[in-house]
Amino acid sequence: MIHDINDDIHPFDDPAREREWLAQENAMRRQRLQLDPCSDDARTQRYRLLAHVLRQPSSECLPADFARRVAAQIGATRQPSLNTPFELGLIISLYIALLVALVVVLVPDSGQWWRSLVALPLPAMSSLRLLFALAGCIAVTWLLGQWQTSARKR
Amino acid sequence: MDDTRSPDRELVDAVLGGRPGAFERLVREYQGLCWHIIQRMVRHPEDARELCQETFLRVHQCLHQYRYESALKSWIGRVAYTIALRHLQHKRIPLLESDGDDEPSLVENIGDGFDLEAACANEETLRHLHTAIETLPPLQRTLLSLYYLEETSIPEIARITGLAGGTIKSHLFRSRLRLRGALESRTGVAA
Repeated sequence: MIHDINDDIHPFDDPAREREWLAQENAMRRQRLQLDPCSDDARTQRYRLLAHVLRQPSSECLPADFARRVAAQIGATRQPSLNTPFELGLIISLYIALLVALVVVLVPDSGQWWRSLVALPLPAMSSLRLLFALAGCIAVTWLLGQWQTSARKR
Repeated sequence: MDDTRSPDRELVDAVLGGRPGAFERLVREYQGLCWHIIQRMVRHPEDARELCQETFLRVHQCLHQYRYESALKSWIGRVAYTIALRHLQHKRIPLLESDGDDEPSLVENIGDGFDLEAACANEETLRHLHTAIETLPPLQRTLLSLYYLEETSIPEIARITGLAGGTIKSHLFRSRLRLRGALESRTGVAA
């Protein structure tokens, strides 16, 4: 019985109220178990009628396809932009423009940019320490994220 | 408790992992609960449908915040209850009667002469009782619905509504006593 775990609810201070409460609870159980009402007193029978009415679902309800429609609505809001042809075309044209710009900048230089990059002096020790600290921060953040995800799954 | 949490975890992981059909399964599983809470609170079918939809959109948005501290049923019920409560506040509909909910007098020794089977078959009596239930304040209607229709225990109702267990017990007691009084006013009491 599901309602048996109500046992930790305190009884009423007034014994008459507590007796009435127990009669209400008893009638509810008897009605749920469909026990023969012949042995029930008039009070229990009235509460059983009440239980009978309260256990009837309302005539109004949600549409049969409610779950499917809500799930479809969620799906539509989750990936809205990539599904529209205009936005997809815009993203592709941006990628093409980026590629053309790279070719225009890099090819006429004929490797000059690479030689300049190699010729750069090595960073000082203090700068290296800062780089190591940055890498450490990134690693700690990533590890914390992994730990939180696994803790939630557990 | 773990027995109920395990399927919850499976379903939540599936939804968060974006598995096809998982969210639809979640909605199908808990739409009855949400409907009973919201419909009993707001009593307007069109508003109730919209609020149910809003509830599941919110559930999807916030599911990553669910920490398995209570059953998924209680967590989703809490979202539905909060949304319905906000709707009532917005419409300035009181959750409880403002003039104090006077408790009907206790009459313990009522005589026989009540036939349960005949009363169940009597359309007039049932209609009278349905009308009496409809006149209850939104909170009491909802508590009765959760307790009888959804078979939710008082501690679980407490997690959904945020009310203390004793308060819920008191509301259930008074509303049932009041409905018993309504029934007796129709069928008569042979004391």
